[in-house]
Parts: sequence; C-alpha cells; structure tokens
Amino acid sequence: MSHSHTFAVTVTAITQVTPLIKHFVLKAADGAQMPSFSGGSHVVVVMKGATRVYRNPYSLLSSPNDLSAYEIAVRRADQSRGGSVFMHDHVTVGMTLQIAHPVNLFQLDKLALKHVLFAGGVGITAIAAQLEDLKMGAVPYELHYSVRAPDHAAFADRLLARHGDRVRIYHDSAEHRIDIEGLVAAQPLGTHVYVCGPTPMIGRVLASARAAGWAESHIHWEQFSAPPVGDPFDVFLKKSNVKVSVLPDQSLLEAIEDAGVDAPYLCRGGVCGECKCRVLEVDGVLVHNDHYLSPEEKASGTLIMPCVSRAHGKNLVLDL
Amino acid sequence: MSAVFKTDETFRDDFKYSNSPRAIRRFPLPFVEDKYMYSVNIEPHVPGPKDSITEFQFDVDEHYIGECRDREIVLKEDPLRYQALPHMMSAQWDVLELLMNHMSKDYPEQFSLSKQGNRWSWHNKLLNIKNEFTFGDPSTLPREPLDYITRQAQGDFVVMDQRDGDFYIEAGMVTTPADWSMDFDMGMSFKEWHGPVPLAHELNVFDRALKFLLNLRINEPVRRLNWTMTVNPRLDTSPEFYPRWGSDRASVTADNVADKAHIRVELQGLWRLPRSNAMLFGIRCYLISIRELATIPKWARRTHRTLRDLHPALVDYKGLTRYRDHVVNWLAPLDDGSPTTSGNAPE
Amino acid sequence: MLIRGIKSKPVYTPLAPDLGGRTHLLVGFGVGAEPLTRLMADCTLAGVTKASRRLLYVTDKSASMAMHEMMRHADAGEVQLFKDSASLLSEFETILKASIMGTRLYVAGPEAFMGLVMRIAARFNLNRDEIRAEECGSPARRVHCIHCRAATEDVTTNIVQCVDCQRWLVVRDHYSRRLAAYMGVMIDAEVPGELPPIEEVFV
Repeated sequence: MSHSHTFAVTVTAITQVTPLIKHFVLKAADGAQMPSFSGGSHVVVVMKGATRVYRNPYSLLSSPNDLSAYEIAVRRADQSRGGSVFMHDHVTVGMTLQIAHPVNLFQLDKLALKHVLFAGGVGITAIAAQLEDLKMGAVPYELHYSVRAPDHAAFADRLLARHGDRVRIYHDSAEHRIDIEGLVAAQPLGTHVYVCGPTPMIGRVLASARAAGWAESHIHWEQFSAPPVGDPFDVFLKKSNVKVSVLPDQSLLEAIEDAGVDAPYLCRGGVCGECKCRVLEVDGVLVHNDHYLSPEEKASGTLIMPCVSRAHGKNLVLDL
Repeated sequence: MSAVFKTDETFRDDFKYSNSPRAIRRFPLPFVEDKYMYSVNIEPHVPGPKDSITEFQFDVDEHYIGECRDREIVLKEDPLRYQALPHMMSAQWDVLELLMNHMSKDYPEQFSLSKQGNRWSWHNKLLNIKNEFTFGDPSTLPREPLDYITRQAQGDFVVMDQRDGDFYIEAGMVTTPADWSMDFDMGMSFKEWHGPVPLAHELNVFDRALKFLLNLRINEPVRRLNWTMTVNPRLDTSPEFYPRWGSDRASVTADNVADKAHIRVELQGLWRLPRSNAMLFGIRCYLISIRELATIPKWARRTHRTLRDLHPALVDYKGLTRYRDHVVNWLAPLDDGSPTTSGNAPE
Repeated sequence: MLIRGIKSKPVYTPLAPDLGGRTHLLVGFGVGAEPLTRLMADCTLAGVTKASRRLLYVTDKSASMAMHEMMRHADAGEVQLFKDSASLLSEFETILKASIMGTRLYVAGPEAFMGLVMRIAARFNLNRDEIRAEECGSPARRVHCIHCRAATEDVTTNIVQCVDCQRWLVVRDHYSRRLAAYMGVMIDAEVPGELPPIEEVFV
C-alpha cells in the first residue's frame, strides 16, 4: 500500500492559542461531513510550499462526536524542516489543504477497567479526543495535564468545562509538578496509562509505571518525532532507478516523494513501521531517529525508516 | 442489468436454489490458474466491472431475500450466532453506518437512508423493514445495531478489536460459516482463530496477513477470495449443526454429484472501522453447483485440474474426502486437456 | 478437519520470576506444588521478597501428603490452602478485586484448572504479559460440546460421550480461553456409528 488518498479541506478558523501554538479548524471543501474517527487519531496534512511539499502528522483534537469540522493544533518548530512554520506563516483562513484519512496509532484499550492519562503542552492534542470517547463510556478516567502557565489556559478551560473533576491541571513549575510516581503506584488492576507530551515527561511516565510493576500491555504513549534536520546526502532508489538528493531540512521520505516515487507511509513520525525500507548498500552511517526498529535492527545497517531517519556519508542505496 | 430478486429460495430441506445465467457469469471462481495453494492474495477492494460481484463494496444479488430468511431461521434456533461483547458498541454503529451508506447509495431502488443530524430513517424495500432511529442510541432500534443491520445483509460479519498489535474476534453475525464456530472462537486472537487452518501457519501466511491488517487504513478496504465445497446449497454448515448436515457428505454419488456438490466461494472483505478503530471482516458467500459451473467450459477444465491435484491436507480440511473423486470423475470428460487462459473470467 | 497440531492450543513454559512485577500471586493445584516451590526459590535468589509473594493452593489426590505439607509451609508472605478448586477460585477473585497494577500471576497445575484461573484473571484485564503458566499433572481435558455447549470434565480419551447430549465427540486441539475448554465435535455425523477406536490419549 502506498499513498493514502487525500481529500480537500478548507481552513475556516485560525487561533493563536499560545505564542508558539496555532489552532486550526478544517472543514471539508465540498461541505460534506468529515469522516468519522476515533480518539487518538492523527491526520497527515499535505502542504504545498513554494519549492516543495510538506506532509506532517497532526493529532485530531476535536470531538469524534462532532464531525462538522476537524481541529488540529500546530506547535511552531523553527529548527525543523518547515512544515510547522508553513502552517504558522503561510496558511490563512479560506485556504484549501489536502489531508489524508485519519489513522489511529494511539488508541484507547477497550478492555481497560480504568484509564489514567497524562498530557504535557501540545501533547494534549492527542489526548483531547480520547477524553471525548471516554466521556461517552462508563469506564472511569482521569487526566493529569501539565501546562506552562498560563500559556495553555485556553485548552485547560475547555477540558475543565467538558470533563470537570476528571481533569487536573498542573502549572509546570517546581512547586506544582504532577506526582506521576504516586499516581501510578496504586491503581486498580486493569488500569491503562497513556501519555503524550515532551520527551522527558513520556520518559517519566514510562519509567514510573515500569518501576511500579506495570506490564507493557497497559502502557501507551505517542511521540511523533519531527524529522530532524541534518547534513544533505544522496540516495539511489534501485527499483525505481532514480537518484535523489536529500536537502538538510528535508526528510528522506519527502525527498523520495518529491522525486515522484510512491513510497509507503502511515505516521510519518517513526512509530508505525509502514515505511520501513531495506538498505541495500551504505557507505557511511545510518542516523536512526525512529521508535520502531529494534536496537539490533538499527545496528544491522540493513533497515531504515525514511520518514525520520537519515544517512551520513557518500552512498546509500535503498530497495525502493 | 440489475438482479431479479428471487422470493422463494431455500437453503435447507427442499433446497430450492439455483443460479440464473447472469449469476453464473458473475460467479467469482477462485481458481486463477490450474492449481491451488494458499497465498496472501489480498488486493484493494476497489470497484470491479459493472455487474461483477465487486462492482459495489457490498454485493446484493438475486439470492438476497432467501439468504436473509435463512439467517432468521438459524438465529431463531441458535441465538448465539449473533454475539457482541459490551466494548464493541461503537464498532457496531460503525458497521451499521458502513452498510447503510453503501447499500442505499448502490441500490437506491431497494434501500433508502435519510439523515437529519442523528435522526436516521432506513427503509429496506426488499424485506419491507422501515425504522427511524437515533444514530448512537441503541434503545431506538429494535435490536443491537450490528444484529439489526446484518440481518438485512448477505454474508457473515465478524468484528475484531485491535489491541497490543493483534486482533481479537469480539462481535459478529455468523449464520453461514464454512465449518467454524464464532461462539467457540469468540475472544480469540487472530492466529488462535485461524489455528485450525492447516499448512498456512507454516507458510507464515497469518504473520504477514496480520502485519498488513494492523496498518489497514480507513476508506481503503481490501478483499480476497477463499473457497471450499459444500454438499447441497446449504449456507449454514456450522459445527453447531454438523449432526444435521454431516451426513450430506456421505450422500454424494456418481449419479447425483453434479447437482449435489457445490463450489462455495467466499468474497472476504476487510474494512477499518473509523469510530472504533476496529476491523470488520465480511465473508460474502457464493454457491454454484458443479453442473452450473460446467456450463462455462474453461471453468470445467480448470476446476477438474484443481480438485484432482489438490493437496491432501486441504482435501481433509475442506471436508472433501468422501466425495472429491466423484466430482473429479464427473468433470473429467469435460477436460480435453486444452489450455486455459489465466485469470478466472469465462473465456 | 484438523484434530491435532492446532495453533490455538496454549503453549506453556516453566515458571520463572517476572522481575518486572511488584506483587506475585501464585496459584497452584495438586502437583503444581513442585513448580511453585521451585519458583519461590528462584524468586528468593532473584531478590524478590517473601512479603511480595502470596500463594493459593488446592490439594488433590495427584499430590502427595508431603507436597501438601510443603505448601503449608511455603516460602511466601501469605499462604492459603483450599480443599477444592471452587473455594480457591472464589478467594482468587476476591483478591484480584483488591489488587493493584504491578501484580503478576503464576499458575501451575493441570490445564483444565489453569484455564479456569486465567478466565477469571481475564475479567480483571490481566493480559498475557502479566500471567505465566506451567502445565503439570493430569493432561485430562475439559471439552466443550460444540453442539449442546455442555462441558465434559476430565476427558482422557480421543473420543468422548458428551455428558449432556450423549453424542460421541472427537476432541480437537482447538482451545478457547474464554470457555477454558477444547472443542468436541460429533465424530459420526457423516456416517452414524462409524467410530474410530477410542484410545486413552490425554494421560
């Protein structure tokens, strides 16, 4: 399977929620209802820049029960390849964008007897729609949401209004940190924990849950890596017989797509494994940035995830 | 040309069942070459040619009324052929939405659906069923959503929840199984459920299929064909009722084989369900007698060769042991040894 | 119809401590005493405290008196002995209600007993990575009649008569965790009375 089919959406509202985060409302360009989705899903937004095309994944933060529009929030990352900067600087109300159908790589466990969710900063976007799904059900849930006061007040107020005392807001400072260790220490059997937020927060939740003896099947997290910038390099796609140059601020996958080669992908964040590709030759080192390949696979030098990973060296030949 | 819906077919007792010339022509013979072995033969479920069984995602054909009636008979005797675990309710609505949307769009003369927000109105003119209900509120339908809609659709439906990189079978309507029991398999993982299939595990068929399905996307359904044989045009060949139909297999003789023995083909479709992120597995069953099939000379030759050379483990698994030779012998005179064109289309 | 070698048949492995867990719940039946005793010793060696271990055990004629005594004095923070499976399962369920995340379950005994334990564990969403099981003792099977849905216990033969509908059933390797039983299918449905020899196979 390769490119998912995309459909056209119109940007109907843009709000600057924090100095770095913009919130976008997207409606179907043909006026139809948006496709149904489940909490935890993301969409890949296709942005046609002046010189190139960006495809970035963004979590759907609107309610799965309201399909009049999708909402996404984009954190501006000046150091990255430019997708988020494009969303911030070039996307205006009334503009048409292409998006792919939602994909859920961060779904709620339907057999859970309780859900404990942690979110930090813009990570709330992956959790917000899950809360809407949970609100419709009978299983207890609680969210612990850490914000950089008072930047995220808009999100926080909305969550408090929707979910009341199931939500606790923490202003991220030394005095008011989430007691993650305490919270995971005494949860009833059948509890599932979810986290989306900055890397250190994900690390703390995973470490705390594991230290408290949680088995992996009860721990869920989502961390899309933005493809990091790096040195330019060349790659030869053997099956397609195409030579591609990857720019410093371009991902390998984007460069492959720009060359007109149809490569598979799903998350574009190094999580799902869909774009996994065989490395036929490499003269230099592979720079693995994904969360999918095992350490052994990474060390083998025979596999790469083009959505986030790069190469450093003279020659790279891929089985594409 | 649309189907002329038969009103008096039966799939038990007197077996009043036959295929019209149109139905024979569109029969999905699963043998694309002169031999058969498993493969991960999955392809995108995209619209096929006009009048073919894949023209629409959910094929409604001339046997619709009889098949729905047969389902009611099975459910009356054995209500557990429909089951849904409590956590599958959002998936139930997903399936109802998917089927109603497609059926009303593709067969507007037979089915109609209108929506005013969450107020939906459904009219099935073939079965004379009419309901207004609130989408998302099970109390407004006479039955659970999956039960309600699959009683009005041909084929079996299984819904799998996705957890921990696996699928678990946790809801479904199965009244026309080829010798498997959903009640027994309820709650099983993908590979446990397929445990009784011989050979395929060794070929890693299920590892590859599972990996593929985990990343299956919304709006990009896939399909494959599977097949077996059935004695008499009987839809419910369930293990539950095997004591009733098992003796059919011993009833095949050289004289009656052409009318008794049927090729049974399953058009299996897989849909990612959007609200639940669950997976719908549809098993749409087509039956054709050996006599009907042999009206297409290429199919007679190919089926003869395929059954003659079938792997012994598959002969056993598909329950053909007692009557395969009769079928092969009946088809043999129709096979002059001339080559067949590739693909399953009548030449 | 495939009878043997079906992949749904659970695979059991010798018990070993899961050092990821914080509370270790050990449940045994009959000769399951042996692997549990070995497990407790391995736990001690691995630094799992005695206080974090809790043992539930039901004795059975398969177990010697010595084994019963061994379990009474087992090296666990709490030891509970039961006269029958039913009372053990009832207490097991009560314990799970009050348990917290970080619990690991270890089960040892005949498969028919372990199946019932794991079926309760599943209701508390204990997943496969939280449960370890070692089969020992009688390989007799619990057989679910696919026709009348009755369970026939302690089946040791390839073919068995259903306790309820009286049909002769062939016992397949197809196993349901939800039913904690193997599938039994009528053997002579195609030709009545055509039965292969009945043999003791699960002994």
